[in-house]
Amino acid sequence: MIALESLTKHYTKGTVVTEALKGVSFRVERGEFVAIMGASGSGKTTLMNILGGLDTPTSGTYRLDGLDMARATDDELSGIRNRKIGFVFQQFYLLDRADALKNVMLPLIYADGSGDDAARAGQALAAVGLSARSHHHPAELSGGEQQRVAIARALVTDPVILLADEPTGNLDARNGLEVLAIFQRLHREGRTIVMITHDPAVADHARRLIVLKDGRIAGDSPVTHPRDAQAELGRTPGDAPGAGPR
Amino acid sequence: MNRTFRLLRQAVDALLSHRQRSFLMMLGLIVGIAALTTVICLGEGTRARVMDMVAKQGWDLIMVRAGAARQVFAPTADRTIASLVEADAQAIQNTIGNIRYVSAVQNQRGWEVVFGNASVKTRIFGVGPDWHYIRRRPVERGEFITDADVVNMSKVAVLGFRTAKVLFGGDNPVGQTIRIGKEAFLVKGVFVEAGITPGGDDWDDRIVIPLTTASRRLFGRVYLEQIVIQVRDARALPRTVEQVQQLLRERHQIRSAAEDDFFVRGPEDVKEAALSTSSTLTTLLIALAAIALLAGGVVIMNLMLISVSQRIHEIGLRRAVGARRRDILAQFFFETLCVALAGGALGGALGVAVATLLGWAGVAANRITWIPFAAAIAACALVALVFGLYPARKASRMDPAAALRKQAL
Repeated sequence: MIALESLTKHYTKGTVVTEALKGVSFRVERGEFVAIMGASGSGKTTLMNILGGLDTPTSGTYRLDGLDMARATDDELSGIRNRKIGFVFQQFYLLDRADALKNVMLPLIYADGSGDDAARAGQALAAVGLSARSHHHPAELSGGEQQRVAIARALVTDPVILLADEPTGNLDARNGLEVLAIFQRLHREGRTIVMITHDPAVADHARRLIVLKDGRIAGDSPVTHPRDAQAELGRTPGDAPGAGPR
Repeated sequence: MNRTFRLLRQAVDALLSHRQRSFLMMLGLIVGIAALTTVICLGEGTRARVMDMVAKQGWDLIMVRAGAARQVFAPTADRTIASLVEADAQAIQNTIGNIRYVSAVQNQRGWEVVFGNASVKTRIFGVGPDWHYIRRRPVERGEFITDADVVNMSKVAVLGFRTAKVLFGGDNPVGQTIRIGKEAFLVKGVFVEAGITPGGDDWDDRIVIPLTTASRRLFGRVYLEQIVIQVRDARALPRTVEQVQQLLRERHQIRSAAEDDFFVRGPEDVKEAALSTSSTLTTLLIALAAIALLAGGVVIMNLMLISVSQRIHEIGLRRAVGARRRDILAQFFFETLCVALAGGALGGALGVAVATLLGWAGVAANRITWIPFAAAIAACALVALVFGLYPARKASRMDPAAALRKQAL
């Protein structure tokens, strides 16, 4: 599914060259739930951008679902992002002026397929349990609900991989667990998920943990006792959803 | 639903969700296009009016006026310029081809005309028997002046429609005797009602008598105000104008460097002169349109640039979910284009309304054609292109990863 080989990324600012990635190699197979953990400056954002086709490596190879991502043109990458990748961001990035359904439909604008966009978006919203909120605007939704809308938006094109960048970073504990529970359910249903985080407690919900340090892989191992977000939710006092800070 | 249409909808949604900003973007264009549309409507109105006037005068009419001063429409006061004489008219008739009719014309204002208890001050024209063909002034009742009237210096008169009405009310004036100054005249006929020309010349307020009678019995002078000519072939008219000019210069012994002491003009000259009198209103409106469109364009560009920088995350997100650079370019350009066209539509409607009001008020001639609408669309598309492409390009060139990382503004 994902195959990285000796991936490097250099940034040049004036005469200063920063090596963000210094030769990263790993594979992610279909159906895996991988957490990539690292402190800030570890290169995880750069890795996320390259994995997501938002940036290209300086050297090395990256194949996603058989496609050569390192040599794709900007337009090709746009198409790949649209069809193959579903992004979930820390800040949700929902359009305030559009309701939940329209937000979820957004990627379909750039998909040249035909079909009932609204129906597909409705199904994606149902998959994150937000059917009842489809005509609410982001301002009328809690932080957790907003992130669930964003997950539905990532799912609407039926991508081969879900790429989440600190998906719980802007959520309180309970809402964070709800999002992780959705990821775990999607994983059980066969989705491939790569989640980037700095938080070990969040990473423990994945099945495999890759630790990034100083632009290199410092560890890559299965999570021996993955935490179950649904079970944790049952133990967490049921405070009102959306009460947490955004 | 194809991608272009979807992007167009995105653009419209974005505009509708920022109504205040969208309206501000349109404001300059509304004013500019309104001014532009008004100018064109009024211009078209004037054009139609002038063409109508020239057509009524006839495309086969050459007019020779005494004096070099160019006067487009009827003179507002009598001028006594001693340059044209009846022999000039005779010479034109006899020596130049392509001439159908020629008539010498004398006129004078302020003659007191009396019938019974009624009296009126009017303008007396002395003309030849072919004058009513040349000027296309049919007689409604009675008949026009004849050759015999001119030869005999007959004291006969043909009355303008309103002059007849003032003197005779509803009665038939033909066969009655009126007094012009101290002389008694027999009324031979009454002209068909003709109205006032765009130049302010009232064709219904006048009396026409034989030229000889006018020059010898009333005015006591030989000099003419004008000579009117009808050509046979209107297409050859410019050549005839030259010949008339040449002939009169020779006859008046004007040396090569000297100015004419007469002025010859054909229908094209009348048209050109009338159209070239661009009013202050027109100049003002054109200046306003240019300034408003330019200012409107600059406002649009600035607001679009602000919008682009406020929507960096939106741009980053759209790129992340699959928008190509040209999709972003198209969306932002469509926003400018839609705003511009909406502003153009509102401005066009406003301009037509203003032109219609001015037309009703009698300030200017107004005519609504497709031209102002085509011009409005073209102007708006141009403004959108000139001022909308740069912000749209800026949006499309943004690096998606950097856009997503940017701190919220």
